[in-house]
Amino acid sequence: MRRVLHIIRKEFIQIRRDRTMRALILLVPIIQIWVLGYVISSEVKHVSTVICDLDRTSTSRALIERLSHTVYLNVRYHEERESLVGEYLDAGRAMIAVVLPAGLEKNLQTLQPSRIQLLVDGQDANTANVALGHIAGILEAYLTDRVRSQSAAALLSEEIHLLTPVVQVWYNPNLKLSDFMIPGIVVFLLTMITTLVSAMGLVREREIGTLEQLLVAPIKKHELLIGKIIPFALLGLFEMGLAIGFARLWYHIPIVGNLGLYLLLSIIFLFTTLGLGLLVSAFSHTQQQAMFMSWFILIFVLLMSGFLFPIENMPRLAQWLTYLNPMRYFILITRELFIKGAGLRHLYIQGLILCLFGALIFTFSVLRFQKRLK
Amino acid sequence: MKPRIVAVLQKEFIHIWRDPYSLLIVFLFPMMMILLYGYAITFDIKYIPLAILDQDRSPASQQLVEKLTSSNYFRITARLQDRRAIEPGFLHRRMSAVLVIPPDFDRRLTSRPETSVQLIMDGANANTAMIAMNYLKSFLTRTTLELNQGLLATPLEIEPRIWYNPDLKSTHFVVPGLIAILMMMICAMLTSLTISRERETGTLEQIFVSPIRPVEIIIGKVAPYILLAFLDAMAILGFSHWVFGVPIRGSLALLVFFMLIYIYASLSLGVFISSRTRTQQAALFAAMLGTLLPSVLLSGFVFPIASMPRVLQWVTYIVPAKYFLIQARGVMLKGVGFDYLYLPTVFLLIFGTLLLAVSVKRFKTNLEG
Repeated sequence: MRRVLHIIRKEFIQIRRDRTMRALILLVPIIQIWVLGYVISSEVKHVSTVICDLDRTSTSRALIERLSHTVYLNVRYHEERESLVGEYLDAGRAMIAVVLPAGLEKNLQTLQPSRIQLLVDGQDANTANVALGHIAGILEAYLTDRVRSQSAAALLSEEIHLLTPVVQVWYNPNLKLSDFMIPGIVVFLLTMITTLVSAMGLVREREIGTLEQLLVAPIKKHELLIGKIIPFALLGLFEMGLAIGFARLWYHIPIVGNLGLYLLLSIIFLFTTLGLGLLVSAFSHTQQQAMFMSWFILIFVLLMSGFLFPIENMPRLAQWLTYLNPMRYFILITRELFIKGAGLRHLYIQGLILCLFGALIFTFSVLRFQKRLK
Repeated sequence: MKPRIVAVLQKEFIHIWRDPYSLLIVFLFPMMMILLYGYAITFDIKYIPLAILDQDRSPASQQLVEKLTSSNYFRITARLQDRRAIEPGFLHRRMSAVLVIPPDFDRRLTSRPETSVQLIMDGANANTAMIAMNYLKSFLTRTTLELNQGLLATPLEIEPRIWYNPDLKSTHFVVPGLIAILMMMICAMLTSLTISRERETGTLEQIFVSPIRPVEIIIGKVAPYILLAFLDAMAILGFSHWVFGVPIRGSLALLVFFMLIYIYASLSLGVFISSRTRTQQAALFAAMLGTLLPSVLLSGFVFPIASMPRVLQWVTYIVPAKYFLIQARGVMLKGVGFDYLYLPTVFLLIFGTLLLAVSVKRFKTNLEG
């Protein structure tokens, strides 16, 4: 045990000595949460728009007014000639062109169908889709209000019957995307740091030749391994705490559930990521290799975890694959616990699966690594 | 002078060859990403799990539910008996939204001027909740218009024409971004790592005391990575073009020219990083913070710049990948020419030259000091 402590101390001394590392340990989580928080959890907003009004009536002006007064669009240009709106898309100045056709007001008054033409830069399929949805919503809201004001008299005469929704949003009443995304970023950070550091840490000793010195030192192999792994785990938990603290202060994310339970589940999850890093280091000769392999694995773990892209919408085969991804379970645990305050009885299945993954990956990688040391 | 550079070149090629793992990953990674984006990843939200709490149980309420589920936005995963079942249902993730149809719905719908149904959303996943809510609202508006046919306005039809990517395929959008990230990874990350590895293992000093000039060292170390980045970009282009039909509408020669400019800018960034870091680990972290993350997050690769807060939008102006993406997408998807794209080119040239000048100077002082 004393010998393990010595190794742990050596690791911390190494970190302390490296000025760049020391700064990075503090900066990486904060910068990541800060930047990622804004980038990932920003809703589609301020989509650059050009409007071509061929109707020029009070109706078309009212519609333009509504389109201009939403955060989703940024109406930057008004073009008079329909033939020129395409130019705005080509030059990348606008992403959407709205053409309000001549006769719009007349059609609405006579209950004739009218068509509003939209020209959409479809390169970014997601933004295009979301913006289209918002425009549809704005037009629909305009119509509903119009119906309401015009049918006030009819409503009283009980000729017209409206069906209206009353919406109640639980857990996240303002539908803040950051509440949902930032816990995911915390998980990604923890996964990334522990995997990378444990993958590179051991290879580094081998690369600069100090591993042999350690191996001939009077210390058992498993003690060496434990002594190397524990600082990585502590580092990961420290970074996670820093990230959560910063996210709470800066983004005011809710933490409804029990943090003690969360710490426990995080430690279980760490066995998977540290094991993964160890496995990578058993297969690589240089730090560069270790880093490449870790990134290669991490990107897929990230994309197939439900962090950015909802799993339910993937094709069946891809969905099955995600069941093999430990981060999938931990992302779910984190979000449910933070936002909804889910407890162990809602999350025990995920917890058990993580235990299983952790035990399997960790044992396998330790065996593999010890073989490699010999 | 020539043979000295060739020697450094040879040495670097040997380094790359000795490490087939990294080489394999550099080529395999983008292909896997394209496959993933092509097949697995979609932003569409469909089949949102919905629970029904029907307190009316009349033909009218059943009809409403049926009509709602005939689209593939929702699938009904639970039928609740009373309101107390809602909370456990949300916590066990059995549904994301509940539609509550009030008692008397049938009668009210035809006798009262206004009838309400309640939507209770699990707001934890803000994205899904927002889409579900918008869809339910517009569904109810449409139902209202149908109920009162001939009395109220007809819906405003939207006729969208999608340019550049008519099927809204995310692969088309992602491929130029992947090229930008991969080239940045190879040119900036690998070069900064290889230089800092020499420093860490102490071989950089050996090279410095040999009769090679710093410029020669840099060129010799960097040239193999230029080749590698270029080959990789071509492989990505070919694969995405022939397997997933990603178009190259403009001139290929122009695209290659833009790639070379971008390679120059990324290399300068890599050399700059390695001139300022001592260990591989530090170089790695710095490269991640300085090259990889900005290229992924702040370039417009998947996250639109217009939606970011103002400060981050300013930061994007110093991210080289942003400019390359404008160029690559312009040529590949829009098919526009150089007259639309000269500004980003000018910027990348200035960016690269500035960084290179600063780091060469730094290397020289290192050598002398």
